[in-house]
Amino acid sequence: MNTKRWSFLRGYAFLVYGFIYLPIMLMGLFSVNSSDLIAFPLTKFTLHWYSEILHDSRILKGLITTMSVAVPVTLITTVFGSTAALVLTRYSFRLKPLFAALLILPFFVPKLIFAIAQVTFLNDVGIDKGLITVWISQSLIILPFVTIIIASVLYKIDKSLEEAAEDLGARPWLTFRRVTLPLMKNGIMAGAFISFVLSNAEYTVSFFTSGRIQPLSVLVASDFRFHLSPSLNALAMLIVLFNILIIIASEWVRRKKVEQ
Amino acid sequence: MSSAAIETKRKRTAFGLTIPTGLFVGTFCVLPLLVLFSYSFFQVDFVAIIREPTLDNYNRILHSGTYMGLIVKALVYGIGIAFLCCVIAFPLALFIAKRVTVYKSALLTLLLIPLYTGDLIRIFAWRVVLGAEGVLNSLLQWMGIIHEPLWFLLFSPFATVVVLTYNYLPFMVFPLWASIEALDDSYIEAAMDLGSRNLGVFFKVILPLSGPGLVAGFLMVFVLVVGDYLTPQLIGGSSGVTVTSAIHDMFGAAFDWPTGSALAWVLLACMTAFVAIALYTFYRSPWGRGIRGGRR
Repeated sequence: MNTKRWSFLRGYAFLVYGFIYLPIMLMGLFSVNSSDLIAFPLTKFTLHWYSEILHDSRILKGLITTMSVAVPVTLITTVFGSTAALVLTRYSFRLKPLFAALLILPFFVPKLIFAIAQVTFLNDVGIDKGLITVWISQSLIILPFVTIIIASVLYKIDKSLEEAAEDLGARPWLTFRRVTLPLMKNGIMAGAFISFVLSNAEYTVSFFTSGRIQPLSVLVASDFRFHLSPSLNALAMLIVLFNILIIIASEWVRRKKVEQ
Repeated sequence: MSSAAIETKRKRTAFGLTIPTGLFVGTFCVLPLLVLFSYSFFQVDFVAIIREPTLDNYNRILHSGTYMGLIVKALVYGIGIAFLCCVIAFPLALFIAKRVTVYKSALLTLLLIPLYTGDLIRIFAWRVVLGAEGVLNSLLQWMGIIHEPLWFLLFSPFATVVVLTYNYLPFMVFPLWASIEALDDSYIEAAMDLGSRNLGVFFKVILPLSGPGLVAGFLMVFVLVVGDYLTPQLIGGSSGVTVTSAIHDMFGAAFDWPTGSALAWVLLACMTAFVAIALYTFYRSPWGRGIRGGRR
């Protein structure tokens, strides 16, 4: 294809990325604008909204709850995601398609339907809503993403390395510990990072299963719904910046070549 | 170890790795969905649930124009947005796969950031931009282009379409990019050597060979749009009544779990039917030749 066509595509790509980042950048712009109104023309530069949000004890409390959800969820999904990714990329058996379908199920079912199913289930079994129910329901929603990230790394690893180890007489566990695990380490880390970010961002499912404990997303949801304010801009911006750091770290380790 | 012993051991390992995850998803996802299914046969009486199986809920829903209308609306939105995402994502995926070399991973990571940031923040950002006293309206007024705020920007089907497309675009770009990336350049060169023009190459070579990515992306966006209830509710205003928000109400204020469950299951059945038909049609079509393994 000729150069003219490609330069058209480049311009187009710029436009799409502009569309993707425009809302976030405008949010950032107005989080440092001194006016109460989120509207043009701009007034003065200020960090007032950030200090307001950082001194809000309600936000801090929500943040602590969010962390006490995100850390266990990261652990659970990383363990299950690693084993599931190993099964998907390294073994073949008759019921494997069924296993894959089971893994995709929480992604396929609309989040709201998944959430109300949890509500009816907890009601019938008689479990109180709380931290543990949020751990479980969030883990299920996040598991497909983590599995795909870890599987994408495992898929690229040359299987002959593991076969060589086995031919040289290494038992399966030794092969796993000395060959597979070091090679998939980056994938596991990338998966863990993303799990952490997704857990922080999760709202629908947490709302239905958290009961009286309130993670940050549930806490600020009603604020987000009913009024817009520059300090909410600042809060959203802080969350976005934090996520950007973690996502970049995750993508960096995932794509990094393992020293062999 | 003998090879037979290794084989047994491998089988045992596969079993050991599969069972815990399978049990976890089975117990906490499949079982709750079945419990939800059982509720769809119950009735509600004031504040109590009567557990006597009946098909009344399904009868009422299948004969109600409102509920069926909402389900059709959800499916139409799903197909429409998925189509829109295809059109927007294709040139971008083509560009990233075949033109970008150095910044490829950076561009792909940039697509992931809004995706992982969560629906709530994305929706909030769009409300800031589109609101009547929001960024876009105030900018246009300030510049003297308009004198009254454009009301249709927020709380309208227009806003819902924009934000839904925005939300799920990455789910289209990634599978498309992956299949175009895997496409051998020599096919394109061969077509051009044989005298095919740009558009001919696109429609006869690139598009058919990226079929699997196209279908995967289309179905993912479809499923996600049908299931999205935050966006229409928070962005669509009075036009934002969807089948999911109806289900939400029945589990909230209305306290009618049985009807809500039945509605949820009718929706699930429609989604599954659509996905199954789409996959089957694709598999049988000439475009699906790649995944059929060369058989015609």
